[in-house]
Amino acid sequence: MIWYPMNDPSLGCSSFIVGDSASGEGIVVDPLGAIGVSDYVLAAQDLGITVVEVVETHVHADHASCARELAAALGVSHGLSHRAPAQFPFHKLSEGDVLTVGSVTLTVWETPGHTPDSISLVVRDKRRGDDAWAVLTGDSLFVGDVGRPDLADADPQMIRRASHDQFHSVNRLMALPDFTEVWPAHYGASPCGGLFMDQRTNSTIGYERRYNPFLRIADAETFVEQQQRLLKPQPEEAQKLRAQNLGRSA
Amino acid sequence: MTVQELHSLVDSSNAVLLDIRLGRAYAEGHIRGAVSAPFSQRGWARSVAAWMRREAPSYAVILFGDNQIVTQSAAQALKAEGIVIEAVWDQGLGPWREIGLPVVRVDNITVDVLRTELETWAVIDVREPYEHRSGVIPGALKVPLAQLPQRMQELDPNQRYAVICATGSRSQSAAAWLAEQGFQVANVVGGMSLWLGGRHPVERG
Repeated sequence: MIWYPMNDPSLGCSSFIVGDSASGEGIVVDPLGAIGVSDYVLAAQDLGITVVEVVETHVHADHASCARELAAALGVSHGLSHRAPAQFPFHKLSEGDVLTVGSVTLTVWETPGHTPDSISLVVRDKRRGDDAWAVLTGDSLFVGDVGRPDLADADPQMIRRASHDQFHSVNRLMALPDFTEVWPAHYGASPCGGLFMDQRTNSTIGYERRYNPFLRIADAETFVEQQQRLLKPQPEEAQKLRAQNLGRSA
Repeated sequence: MTVQELHSLVDSSNAVLLDIRLGRAYAEGHIRGAVSAPFSQRGWARSVAAWMRREAPSYAVILFGDNQIVTQSAAQALKAEGIVIEAVWDQGLGPWREIGLPVVRVDNITVDVLRTELETWAVIDVREPYEHRSGVIPGALKVPLAQLPQRMQELDPNQRYAVICATGSRSQSAAAWLAEQGFQVANVVGGMSLWLGGRHPVERG
């Protein structure tokens, strides 16, 4: 199994190459414009794998994505939630879809909240067993925090609805076993999270269950109020970046 | 460059045809005479340049790849080592196959098919001696990978060979090399790990 995180510390962004060294196939998740198409292509070559798909956990609003360009450079499809209002053709991913690379599988869980098109990818390696051993949570669940609800639509009603969705999404992730590793799309001071986001790039479901302040909130209303109370200013050019990543000219 | 131009260049030039794709792609099909040297960013150009100075001094290189970003990177790295690049191809084997030009390829065979057809295959086990303790396919010829070139004369050009290792990775390189030498070969997918997993017969000791 190949697990290769590629990070951009300046914005606290994480991306990943996940693959199977035996079959020699891999998937790139959330590639960053700041790292650039060439670095991903050459990293995959160094790892000895052929990339079969480029997937994004959601349409990002804090940084430029290079998923479309990377998919084109590799001649593979670009996977996004079927709920993404993108202007370009893409592989529409829905709840329960399974992306397979050799003995490694990524199962799509729709986890809306940060954006309606947010998904998490539950990672299994059949060679190890049937248990999920990791989950790529995108901007749903962070280490010590959860994704903010206001970047896709800043209308107050929509923010409340998104925050409700986020409550259910992050609690749904708690159905995974405690030892499951949590690998979000952000860490550190990323503008996509709140005040509690950890500097670490990853944790476990068990850690989050125990220490994430948002997962100690038992009812949705309190969760929604807490998220609203703690909202930070929007990242610069959030709407422009999301429009650009959707293939629209802002 | 068109694929016809590549074809006539490969035929007429005495440059070294360097196939920089991953080993798997090379095994699945390559141009006869191509040398497999999968590109990587670390140390690749230096070792290729050292090999060129030893084996083919004063020759240029035709780079054969399937991705523009990778071939450009490889070309730059080789130029920095003082290697002359005669031509660069980044379209892979597709166009070459499309116009019906011949390729050297290694077939894949599963352990189950090998088991049922064992009579008609000669098995070459390219693992190291210490790996034989887990079991060897009865009658297999044991030739550790590094000894293959010296022991090639033991092989029969009219025999089909199934090449096996522990997981199918070394056997892929060995099979590709034997195919390049003109032998009929297949690579056993998954290697001894799947053969043993399928409880197929082995001899020990």
